[in-house]
This record gives sequence, structure tokens and C-alpha cells, in this order.
Amino acid sequence: MKFSESWLREWVNPQLSTNELAEQISMAGLEVDGIEPVAGEFSGVVVGYVVECGRHPEADKLQVTKVDIGTGELLDIVCGAANCRQGLKVAVATVGAVLPGDFKIKAAKLRGQPSNGMLCSLSELGMAESSDGIIELPADAPLGQNIRQYLTLDDQAIEVDLTPNRADCLGLKGLAREVGVLNNLDVCQPDIAAVAATISDVKGIQLSAPQACPRYLGRVIRNINTAAVTPLWMVEKLRRSGIRSIDAVVDVTNFVLLELGHPMHAFDLAKIEGDIDVRMAKEGEKLTLLDSNEVTLKANTLVIADSKKALAMAGIFGGLHSGVTKDSNDIFLESAFFSPVEMAGIARQYGLHTDASHRYERGVDPELQRTAMERATALLLAIVGGEAGPVVEAVSEQHLPKAAQIVLTRTKLDRILGISIATETVTEIFQRLGMQVKVSGDEWQVTVPSYRFDISIPEDLIEEVARVYGYNNIPNVAPQAALAMSKHQESRISVHSLRDLLVARGYQEAITYSFVDPKVQETLFPGQSALVLPNPISVDMSAMRLNLWPGLLQAVQYNQNRQQNRIRLFEYGLKFIPDAKAEGGVRQVPVLGGVIVGSYGNEHWTIAERAVDFYDVKGDVEALLSCTSAAECFTFSTGEHSALHPGQTAQLNRDGKAVGVLGALHPEAERKLGIKGKAFLFEIELEAFGDKHIVLAQETSKYPANRRDLAIVVKSDVRFSDILATIRKVGGNQLVDLKLFDVYTGQGVAQGHKSLAIALTLQDKARTLEDKDIQQVISSVVEVLSKEFNATLRD
Amino acid sequence: MNLTAILEEALQAVAVANDINALEDVRVAFMGKKGSITELLKSLGAMDPETRKTAGQQINDLKQQVQDALNTKRDQMQQAELTEKLSKEQIDVTLPGRTLEVGGLHPVTRTIRRIESFFGELGFEVKHGPEIEDDFHNFDALNIPAHHPARADHDTFYFNPKLMLRTQTSGVQIRTMETEQPPLRIISPGRVYRNDYDQTHTPMFHQVEGLMVDKNVSFTELKGILHDFLNNYFEEDLQIRFRPSFFPFTEPSAESVGIDPEIYSGFAFGMGVSKAIQISGSR
Repeated sequence: MKFSESWLREWVNPQLSTNELAEQISMAGLEVDGIEPVAGEFSGVVVGYVVECGRHPEADKLQVTKVDIGTGELLDIVCGAANCRQGLKVAVATVGAVLPGDFKIKAAKLRGQPSNGMLCSLSELGMAESSDGIIELPADAPLGQNIRQYLTLDDQAIEVDLTPNRADCLGLKGLAREVGVLNNLDVCQPDIAAVAATISDVKGIQLSAPQACPRYLGRVIRNINTAAVTPLWMVEKLRRSGIRSIDAVVDVTNFVLLELGHPMHAFDLAKIEGDIDVRMAKEGEKLTLLDSNEVTLKANTLVIADSKKALAMAGIFGGLHSGVTKDSNDIFLESAFFSPVEMAGIARQYGLHTDASHRYERGVDPELQRTAMERATALLLAIVGGEAGPVVEAVSEQHLPKAAQIVLTRTKLDRILGISIATETVTEIFQRLGMQVKVSGDEWQVTVPSYRFDISIPEDLIEEVARVYGYNNIPNVAPQAALAMSKHQESRISVHSLRDLLVARGYQEAITYSFVDPKVQETLFPGQSALVLPNPISVDMSAMRLNLWPGLLQAVQYNQNRQQNRIRLFEYGLKFIPDAKAEGGVRQVPVLGGVIVGSYGNEHWTIAERAVDFYDVKGDVEALLSCTSAAECFTFSTGEHSALHPGQTAQLNRDGKAVGVLGALHPEAERKLGIKGKAFLFEIELEAFGDKHIVLAQETSKYPANRRDLAIVVKSDVRFSDILATIRKVGGNQLVDLKLFDVYTGQGVAQGHKSLAIALTLQDKARTLEDKDIQQVISSVVEVLSKEFNATLRD
Repeated sequence: MNLTAILEEALQAVAVANDINALEDVRVAFMGKKGSITELLKSLGAMDPETRKTAGQQINDLKQQVQDALNTKRDQMQQAELTEKLSKEQIDVTLPGRTLEVGGLHPVTRTIRRIESFFGELGFEVKHGPEIEDDFHNFDALNIPAHHPARADHDTFYFNPKLMLRTQTSGVQIRTMETEQPPLRIISPGRVYRNDYDQTHTPMFHQVEGLMVDKNVSFTELKGILHDFLNNYFEEDLQIRFRPSFFPFTEPSAESVGIDPEIYSGFAFGMGVSKAIQISGSR
């Protein structure tokens, strides 16, 4: 809602500067979004009268005028505006005047004719973006008066961003009431008296949908002059509130909209066939709106109709056919209450949003229709003339909102606010807000005025007390609560610690969008369906991610394009897997994912550079798993993933259940996504980390440990993990450590075979192992390996 | 042989020995199995006791003097050798070490952690919830019915009228109240989504919301907590002002999940994480 400060001050005029006023209403919850002057900065412009106006002898488009500015001496001024004519009151920039843009007016000659000043247009005074011709002032504008004073141009347009509950402030009347409350000032209301009917013409009104329209007032006004011009004061008030002047009838309805916050509509009486019927639209019914667009109505839409057809979309948009035009002679004026519940979302469903729909959706005062009708009638008669008929009111009392009656107890008020505000202060706040209050004992019985339909429960009243009393006048108090320790489980692994571990291992944390480019996702997950946003920001942000890789790989690409060649990124977040069985049809799984690409370390003077490989990313995953102290629960098996290299993919299992995947990005995806170098990815479901195994202190063996190295040759396709498991089983308790320290293929090892060098460390808790004990273990290991894997000892 | 002459000869030999091997040769020559001083000691056996006593004393003195000279020389040599070794092993300690560069947390994570720790000290538990939320938890339960203009203000990403990307984390509070009984002290940080993208808006951002429900929780306490929090967060004593706004998450919301408003009262609050980073970043 945008309004003119000076207009507000006509209603209520607190002794506050513009900024103080803006601050005050902001702090009361009506957030001021902007303040801007209503005109440019200028001086030396006064009211003048064009005494003579004739053609310039040398130029067709110029006129030579003599202008009276009340100094007793006529000014010669050359003017180029087409609307300049004798008898006009104009805005004269006199010699010495300074117009916006530091434009100084000097005495000059234009094509040989003297010009001692300038007749100004709105745009030249910074009051419009562009304008057609010079300003035409009313005939009674006092000669010589400074224009700034005459038009009260030392004024600001203030824009307030109202929360949806404060529909009562969508008009000057409501804003003034609020400012009155905040400053404890009386509000000076314009005198709105009933306009007596001078003719007896009426239109019948039928409320066929009383739940949506419980009150409808109509009035016939005959013989209006549609050529009448809207007075400048009204044009200016509209302009300063961001509404352009259209014609006198529309301007009056818009003026009432701004002044009282009540939308009005005028129909061309001649176009209404029979009586007015306020009914729901028929499904598929057509209506051409004032903007010439045809809409197909839905049955949930309230329309104003006559006996034959829909005339207007109620409270949203007028119809073209019944609109008031230059040729209209008689009009039918509407002032109605439409229920906000029924209006909500209707305009939007047609892609519409109008000043009227904005107000009706949020709620209009259900008691204001007659006032608005009388106000509009009086203004219309004053501007376009005509004769008014009696007001016809159709009402369905049972469907009108009832004034809320709320009881607020002192106990509740104090308990929720945390301080005790004096009874008189609270009562006064309620009264200033227009509520009827009865104080009895320890409670207030409050009747809420019709325009504050946002107040319905005691908490709403408490909020009003706090708001008007001032949030910042309420002290800050340390909360009191029963001390209770939060639960701390040693076994719980916090995501924080996993993040910290990755950071320590050189990873940067990324946060990427949860919605990704479906093309990227299709590259990584061909044929797999994802949830898609029907109305995304853009197509490349429309598919809910199936894992964290699309976002991470795009981040890799972005960084590679910015000269980063060593990238290690991780992200923690949800992935969204469509699943008919899950809540909402989607499983939202917290996962930890990462990507590494480029060189392993930073360039170093002693270390040869090398690119990362699978075993780097696996090492990082193993480090993460070590946080659980339950490494034995996890296994890596040969895996499969559409985004990964088929020969370099591992599946991570916890207790045999797949919980993650890691591997090299598929070369095809690498090419399609434009990733430079080999990228290695991992993703682990957070749940996999589960609970940490608590490591208990144990006695360490006092007896010496013995290391034996074993080099065996097996076929290339034998998996190390199987060999490891076998040795563990055979080694039993005495085997305290098992390490692979070399993998060799090539000379000395038969084609299709590999040599594995394994170190076994044996130790007993109760005694020193003899050489023969050790030998026995080693022999049985070799024997089993030979049996199960056809392993031979390397020479 | 004259003991003095032997001593002089030995000392001379020690003096000219220029490395550890030469010094060892000197030791062997005088005190080895066949060394001249060893020979002298061997000759004691053939002497009469009286002479032996005196001579023995003299020979031992001689031996001691030679040994001392040898030891001193050896120490000097080892010292010199060590000094030389140390000087040879000098390196440029300003050359960079071998390290795997440490990465970093996202500023949003760091901020959320700080916020979690501040509220954690007051016994607030951290709760998470789904980001694809249903209309009940995202709107209805917060007293924002269908088609309410407040919903339009949310610029919601809908999948369908019942399912959307959450526009706030308040759904987590509702979910918590559905399963837990007061007293409640929770905060819910996380991603939220609004269909709005320009210079000052991003369609995904982070929020932290808080909820406290207990007997006699009051507005002064809400102010107290937020005041403390903001001063702590920005690490300075700020002038903090509160402005009324509109968020219809109120008593009916609590009632709908079975909390009795006659016994319990509560408050909820929310804050944008990026805003906090921006402000603290430009401090």
C-alpha cells in the first residue's frame, strides 16, 4: 500500500518528521518499504494565468503568450505545448527558477521572440515520467502562489509492506486509525453524509450465493457527464498512491478504494438486462474482461450477473461489455462485501491480481459498504453530475461475519507477556483500537470492531497490547525452565565429526541445490525417474536430485573452468528417491557424498605429482568408516552404478546390506559433463554409520610380537578381501595384525597371475610364541590358501 | 726405559694423531696387549716387593696420564666431528612441509553450528525433518489454510497441491510436538525453498527455527533469549529491536497436536542463516 504523507496528515497529524513517522509505523508492524518525494526538487514555479496566446510568427509549433503571475506585470513566454491556450491557469517557472536536474530558467529569445520564463509540464517538475502538454491548473488557483505550496508538493509517497492480517490498513482510513492509536491522537474523518435520492430508479438485487456475497449495495445514477475531468487534487492523490488517472468515474472508485480501503465498481446501466444476480459462475461460462481478455469461468468463481449473462468477476475484474465508457449516460454503482474465504485464490487461478482482489482476499470491513457507497456517490455527483437514485441493499445477515467477543484474563495476559501492564493502559489500548471494552474484575470483555477480523482469540488481543505498548518497551528476561541435561550418547556419531574428518583430509564442503539439471541427472542415472518441479525457477533447476553427484560434478566443472585442478568436495544432504511406499511418495535419504579429481596433493618440491585414483577415494571412505570403530561390520564388494566405471566400482556394505557406493566416474559421463581428468566419487547413507562401537580399554600383551612375511602367487581375478578373510579365520586370536605390503605382476610372475606380499603379526596374550608355534600357523595359512585359491609361495 | 721419556713420547704421539684411527693406534702402541706401558706393567712381577710398590705407582701414574691425554683428544675429535656433521646436515627449515592441505566447512555449516551450540547451552535439542513436506505440516498446522494470501507470500515450489518443498522448517516443530510432550526446547536448522530468484533472493536457503513450550513461557523470555543469542552471535553488545510481523503459527497449532494451552505456553522464532553470515561478514 502506497500513500501520500500529506493525505494521511489530513486525517491525523502527529508531531513527527517523515522518518520518525515511518519508523513508528514500521515498529508497529506496518513495515515501511520506501519513501520517495512526490515531485522533483525545484523552486521559483508559481501559478500564472495565460492572458494572451497567439501563434509564433516564425514557428508553427510555438505559441507566444502573455502570462499574469500576479506581479502586476505580464510576462512574455514562448510555449511549445499544444494545450496552451488563453484563459488557462498554468505553472510558470519564472526567470531564476531552478527545475529538477539543476535546470536554470533564464530570460531568452526564442526565434526572435522574448521568453521570460517557462510554462511547465508534470514531467518537467518531476511529477511524471512523461507528460502530454503543460499542467492545467484549476480556474480558482490563486495567481502567483508557489506551486509547491499550492499542490502541497513537499510531500512523500510512503510505501508500506503490509502483512496479510492487516487488510484494515489497505486504505487511508485504516492507516490513519493506526497512527492515531500509536500517537494517542483523534482521527479527523471526512464528513460522509447520506446522499438523498433525487430520482426513484432502482435495480433489483438477488443474492444467489449469500455465503460468498452476503451484502450487496447498488445505486442508479442517471445523466452523468463522462466528459468531466477529474479534479487535480484527486488526480494527485491517486498519483501519489501509485494509481494513474483513467476517467472521472474510475478515478472516483479508485479514490474510495484508497481512502476507505473499499473496492467499488461502476457498470453502464444501459448494458444491464433485468436485475442484478450475484451468483456463482457456471462452469465454462465466458466473460470478456475490461482488458479485452476473454476468460472461461470456473464454478468456484463469484460473478455479478444480470438476468442473461455474467457482467463482472466479483471483486476481481469488471467486464468489458458492461464497463462505463465515454458514451455511457447512466451508471449502476456497486458496493459489496465478498467473503475472503470464498475469494481466496480465485484471482490467482486466472493469473489475475488487482487492487480489488488484493483487498477482498485479505478481507474488507463488512460494515463499510454503505459508507463507501455514499462517499462515492457524493464525489461522483460533484464531478460528473447526474442524479442519484436510492441505495438498494441486499443482505443475508446469517452469512455476514459476526463481531468477535473475546474474554481476556489478567492471568493469561501476564503469563504470556511476562510483565504486568496496568489495567488502564491495556483498556486504553483496546479502546484506541476501536474495540468495545468492559472491564470486570480481572478480565476484559472485548468486542472486536468489524474491520479487525484478524482478531479472534485472546492471543490476538495480547499481541495487540504488546504491539501498541511497543515490543521494545517490553524487557528482556532470561528464561526460567527446569534444568535438564540433554541426552548425550557416546555411541552417537554426529555428522559434524564426519564433516570434520573430511575437512582434515583436504575436502571443502559444498552446498549445492537440491534441484538439479535433469540432463545432467539423466547422464548419471539414465532412465531413472526423479521428482520434477512443475514450476521450477528454470529447467536446469527442476529435477530433485537422485544423489549428491549431479550437484557436486557441476561444482567440479565450475571450478575446473576457473583454473582449479585439484578438487576435493563433499556435501551432506538429502537425496530424493521416488518410492510409492514412502510418505509423500518419496524417500528422503540423508547422505554424505564426495568427489575428488586432479592431483593427489598440492605440488611439492619433494613429492612427485600424481593423479588421484580409486584407492584415494577408498582411503577417505575407510577413514570415515573408522569413526564407527566397527570396521569389521563393513565390507567392500564389486559394485555396479550407472554413473561409474564398470571395472572400478565398489559397493559398501554394512552387515551385508548395501549402504554406499564409490568408484571412478564413467568415462562416458566424464565426456558428457566435460570433466577434465578422472573423477572419483563416493556416497554413503548416513544411516550406515549407525552407532559407534564403544572401544573398551583392554589389557595389552606383555609377550613379544612376531612378524612373518609371506609372498603368494594367485590368479589375477582372486579378490584380496577373500584371501584376507581366509587368513584371518586360520590365524585366529594369535593373529593380531595383517597387512598387504606389495602387489606385483610382471617378470617372475606367470601371466594372468599376481604376487601378493602379506605381513602377519602373531602374538599371544599368555606366553611367548615359540618358533614352532609361529611356523605352525604360517604353514596352515599357506596350506589353506593353496587349497582355496590355488596359491603358491613365490620363490 | 725412562718413564718420563715414555710419557713424552706418548703425549707427542697423541698430539700428532689426527683422526680417531691414528689415536687408536697410539692407544694400542702404549696400552694394547703389547704396548710399551703394558710391557712395563708386566715387568713388575719380576721386581722385589719394595721396588714393585714404588715402580707400580709410577707406572700407573704414567698410564693414567696417557689415558687422560687419549680421552681428552678423543673427546675433542668427536666434538669436532659432531660439529662438522651437524653443520653439514643443516637444512632450509623455511621450505614447505609435506602436508595434505586442510579443507574447510561451508560458512552456512559453520554458522548453523554456532547457533546450535548457543541454543544447546540452553538445553535446546536439534531436530531435523523432511524437505519435501505435505501441506498439513508446512501450512495447515501453522494456521495458514489453503488459498490464504499468506500462502501466496511464500512462493512455494509445489509438486502437487498436497506436496511441496518446505518453505520453512516449522514443519519440524509440528512433527516434534506430534510425538513429544512439553517441556520442549528445540531448534530446527535446514534448507528451505522459495520460488524466487534475483539479486537478493535465492530459491534455496537455510533457516534456523526454534520452539520453546513450557509452563509459563513468556514473550519477555523470548526477547531475552533472542537478545542473548544475537549479542553472542555478533560478539558485541548490540542495540536489538523487535518489530511485529505476522506468522499465524499460534495456539490453534499447538492444540491441533494435543498441547493444552491452558497449561503450556510457548514461542517460536526463526532466522535466516545467510542473513546472519552477511551481517557478521560485514561487521
